[in-house]
Amino acid sequence: MIRTPLRPLARILDAREKGENPDAIERENLRIRHEQIRDSSRVRAEGRLLVLGLTFFCAFAVIGARMGTLAASEPREPRSYATGASIINSRADITDRHGRVLATNMSTHSLYAHPHQMIEPERAAQELVRIFPDLDQERLVKDFTGGKRKFLWVKKKISPEQMQQVHDIGEPGLLFGPREMRLYPNGALMAHVLGGTSFGREGVHAAEVVGTAGIEKFLDDELRDPAREGAPVQLSLDLTVQSVTEEVLDVGMKLMNAKGAASVLMDVRTGEVIAIASLPDFDPNKRPRPLTEGDASDSPLFNRAVQGVYELGSTFKIFAAAQALDLGLFNASTIIDTRPPFKVGGHKIGEFENHNYGEISVEEIIVKSSNRGTGKMALAIGPARQKEFLKGLGFFDPTPLEIVEAKGGQPLLPKRWTDLSAVTISYGHGLSASPLHLAAGYAAIANGGVYVKPTLLKTSGAQNGARIMSERSAAAARTMLRKVVTEGTASFGEVPGYFVGGKTGTADKPKERGGGYYKDKTITTFASLFPAHDPRYVLIVTLDEPSENSGKKPRRTAGWTAVPVAAEMIGRVAPLLGLRPDVARMQVERVYQTSN
Amino acid sequence: MTYLEYSVKTVPTGWRKILHLNWPLVVLLTAVASVGFLMLYSVAGGSFSPWAEPQMKRFGLGLAAMFVVAMVPIWLWRNLALVAYLGALFLLLMVEFFGAVGMGAQRWIDLGFMRLQPSELMKITLVMFLAAYYDWLPLNKTSRPLWVILPVIIILVPTAMTLMQPDLGTAILLLTGGGLMMFLAGVHWAYFATVIAAGVGGIWAVFQSRGTEWQLLKDYQFRRIDTFLDPSSDPLGAGYHITQAKIAMGSGGWTGRGFMQGTQSRLNFLPEKHTDFIFNTLAEEFGFVGGFSLLALYVLVLIFCIVAAVQNRDRFSSLLTLGIALTFFLFFAVNMSMVMGLAPVVGVPLPLVSYGGSAMLVLMIAFGLVQSAHIHRPR
Repeated sequence: MIRTPLRPLARILDAREKGENPDAIERENLRIRHEQIRDSSRVRAEGRLLVLGLTFFCAFAVIGARMGTLAASEPREPRSYATGASIINSRADITDRHGRVLATNMSTHSLYAHPHQMIEPERAAQELVRIFPDLDQERLVKDFTGGKRKFLWVKKKISPEQMQQVHDIGEPGLLFGPREMRLYPNGALMAHVLGGTSFGREGVHAAEVVGTAGIEKFLDDELRDPAREGAPVQLSLDLTVQSVTEEVLDVGMKLMNAKGAASVLMDVRTGEVIAIASLPDFDPNKRPRPLTEGDASDSPLFNRAVQGVYELGSTFKIFAAAQALDLGLFNASTIIDTRPPFKVGGHKIGEFENHNYGEISVEEIIVKSSNRGTGKMALAIGPARQKEFLKGLGFFDPTPLEIVEAKGGQPLLPKRWTDLSAVTISYGHGLSASPLHLAAGYAAIANGGVYVKPTLLKTSGAQNGARIMSERSAAAARTMLRKVVTEGTASFGEVPGYFVGGKTGTADKPKERGGGYYKDKTITTFASLFPAHDPRYVLIVTLDEPSENSGKKPRRTAGWTAVPVAAEMIGRVAPLLGLRPDVARMQVERVYQTSN
Repeated sequence: MTYLEYSVKTVPTGWRKILHLNWPLVVLLTAVASVGFLMLYSVAGGSFSPWAEPQMKRFGLGLAAMFVVAMVPIWLWRNLALVAYLGALFLLLMVEFFGAVGMGAQRWIDLGFMRLQPSELMKITLVMFLAAYYDWLPLNKTSRPLWVILPVIIILVPTAMTLMQPDLGTAILLLTGGGLMMFLAGVHWAYFATVIAAGVGGIWAVFQSRGTEWQLLKDYQFRRIDTFLDPSSDPLGAGYHITQAKIAMGSGGWTGRGFMQGTQSRLNFLPEKHTDFIFNTLAEEFGFVGGFSLLALYVLVLIFCIVAAVQNRDRFSSLLTLGIALTFFLFFAVNMSMVMGLAPVVGVPLPLVSYGGSAMLVLMIAFGLVQSAHIHRPR
C-alpha cells in the first residue's frame, strides 16, 4: 500500500517560505487520510451488511418454504422401528379367565438423592416432606447434610405428579431413575391370590420386580420368563364373579358380626377355582407388613380359604354317609338308632343341644345332622377305610393350589386313628382342613365321584381324576344334600330356580392354650353345590366367630349365619356363571327353620 | 465519527427523549409479545393461568426496563460495556461453581422475583462489549492478528462456560453471534474463510474416518451424532419432540384448526408446548398463515433495527444495534428451524413468545439499548 506522507517535504518547505504554519498541512492530510479510512471501512461495512442481508434472506426463504411444505404435509403417526425389545424384559401380565387384567406393569420413577450435589439441603428436605408427608424431615436433613452418604433412596415409587413437584424444587441433587412397577388395577380384589411383588435387585436405572406372595411368587419364574414374550398368564378366576363374591362375603361378615370370612367357588368338573376370597383382605399395591406379634391368622395377609385349617364340623357328615352307601353297608332309608347313650372308647357322643332324634333313616341323619347316627356309620366303615376315603379326597395333604400359601394349609390329623377318631372325624371334629379342601371333597360328590385337583389356572375340559365313589353313591349323597336345604338345617339356603344342595357345619373353636372348646366362639361353614340335580359348582362359605343377633339370644350356628350368606351369593353369582333358573323344576317346597 | 467528535447538544434531553423513541419498533415488539400471550392463553386451555398472566406481567416489566435503558445516553452504556461483560462472566462463573450438574442443570440465579440466567445476560453483554471493542479499536488495526485473537477469546470464554452447563443452544448463539459481530466490524474475510474451512474439513475428516482403521470417534459417539442429526430414526425416543411437532404443523395446514382447537398441544402430545415448541401450537391453530405472519413480524423488527443501524453514524451504536438484531435473528431462526425439523433440537426459545422470564427481560433490555442508540444518535 502506497501511503501519501502526512508531511510532504515539498509542501512543508513551500509553506515555510510563505510563512504559513506547516502543521496545518499535516492536520489537513491527517483529516483526509481519516476520511479515506472511514470511507473504505464504510464501503466494506456496506458489503458486509449486504452479505448479512443475503444470509437473512436465505434463512427466511428456507424457513418459509419449510413452513409451507409442513403445512401441506399429511400428519402421520410415528412408528417405532425397534419394537418389543423393552416389553420382553418385563414381567408378564396376569389376567382372569376372560382376559381382564389383574396384574400389569406400569413405568414409573424412583427418587434418589446425591447429597454432595445439593445446594439447599434444608429447603429440599422441607419441600420433600411437603410432597411426601410420610417422610421424616429431620432424618432427611441429617442424611443430606451428614456428608457421609453419597447416595440415598428417597422414594422407590413416585407418581408423575409427584415427580413434577420434586422437579419443581429445582434441587440438582435430587434425581430420578426409571423403573417398572407392578400394578394391581382392581385394588384389593383377589388380593390373596395375587399376593404381591417387591423390588429385588435395585439399580438407579431399573429394578427387578420379584413376586413376594401368592401366585406372583409361585409362578415367579414363568412370569419373568423372556420366552413368554409378554404373553399373559390366564387364571381360572372370573373378575366379575370374584367381585360379587367378595362384596356379598364382606356384607355377610359384617351382618353376622364375624371377625373373618372365606369362600371358595369351584367348577366341579375342571377343578378351576372361579372365585376365592378371604376377609379381611389388603391391597396388593400396598402390601402390609406381616404381624410381628399376636396370632398370624389375624393378619389380613392370612388366607383363610387356603391357609386356614379349621374343624369343619357337620359338613363332614356327608362323606361318612356317601362312603357307607358306596360300600353297600347301608342305603338311604336304612334306619339307625340315634338314641343315647352312645359311647365310644369311654367317651359319650352327644348331639347338638342334647337333641334326641330317635330311630331315623340315614337320609334323616344327614338332614337333621345327627352326630350319633353319623358316628355309627363311621364305626361300621371302620378307621382304615375312612382314612383311605378321606385321603383320596385330598384331606391328608396341603391343597395343590398355585399360590405359595397353599403349602401352609397342611390339615391337622389325629396322631392315632382310633375308633373314637373315626367317629369324631365323621362329624367333623379331630380333623382340621381348609375350606378349599372341603370344596375339593364336595366337588367329588358333585361331579359323580371323581376327585379333582383345585387349580387357579384356566384349563380346558374336565379332569380325569381318581374315582373315589360310584356315580350312584354320589347321586344318592346329592339327594340328601338337597334335602338338607329343602327340609333340614339349611333352609335359608334355598335360591329359587337354582336347586341348592348342601350341608351346614358349626364347630366350636378350640381354645388356643390347653384343651377344650369355647362355648361362644364358633366356625360356621356351609358347603353347597348347585344345581343339585346336575351340579356345576361347589361353594364353600366359612365365617369365623359369627353371631346373628336379631333374636333374643345370639345365634352362632351355620344355618343362621353361613347359609344365608351363601344363598345370597349363589343368587347373585349363578346368573353371572351362565346358569339359568330352572323354572320347570321349581315347585313349592316346605321350608323348615331349624338349626345346625 | 464518535461522540467525541460531535456536539451532544443536538441530542434530545429530558422527557423529549420519549418523542424520539423508535415507536414503530415498540409497537412491533408489543405485537410479537401479544402473539405469545394469545398462544399461552390457548395452550393453558383458555386460561390466563398458569402462563399467560405471568408472561404479560413480565412483558410489562420488560417494557418498563426498555424505557429506562432507552433514557440513559448510549455513551454511558458504551463505557459500561466492559464492566457489564465482566459482571455477566462472573455470574456465569458463579452458576458454574454452585450449579454443579444434575438433571435440571442449574442455570439460574434466584433474584427473588425471578430467576436470572446469566447465559441469557451474556448474549447481550457480549454483543455490547464487542461493539465497544471495535468502536475503541482504530479501524486500521481491525484485522491485525493480535487484535483478532482478543475478541476470539472474549467470545470463546463464555461459550465454553455455557457449553459446560450444558446449554448447547446458548453456546451456539454466543459463538455465531460473536463471530458475526466480528464479521460486521470488518475483520478480514480470510480469517472467516480459514475457520469455516477448518471446521468443515474437521467434520468431513471425522465422518470420512468412520468405518476405517483410523476412526476418530468411537462407534457409539457416531451413533449419538446420528440421532442428534436425524431424530426421526428414533421417533419415540430422541425424535419424539420433533415428530409430534411436525404432526402439529401438518394438522394445522394452511389456515389452521382455529383458536384453541389445536389437539396436539391441548392433549399434551406436544412436549414443551408453552416454551420452545410454542411455534407449533401457533402453526397448528392458525396454520401457515399464522406462522408466516409471525415470521413477517420478526422480519419487520429486524428491518427496523437494520435501518436504525445504517442510519446511525456512530460506530458503537451501529454495531450494537446490528448485533442485537443479529442475536434476535439467530434466536428465532434457530428456534423455527429446530421446531420444524430443519435443525437438531438444541433448546432455544422463540424470542418474546415462548414462556420464560429471563429471555424476555434480557431481550427487552437489549431493545432498550437499541432505542437508546436511536435516541442519542448523532444528528
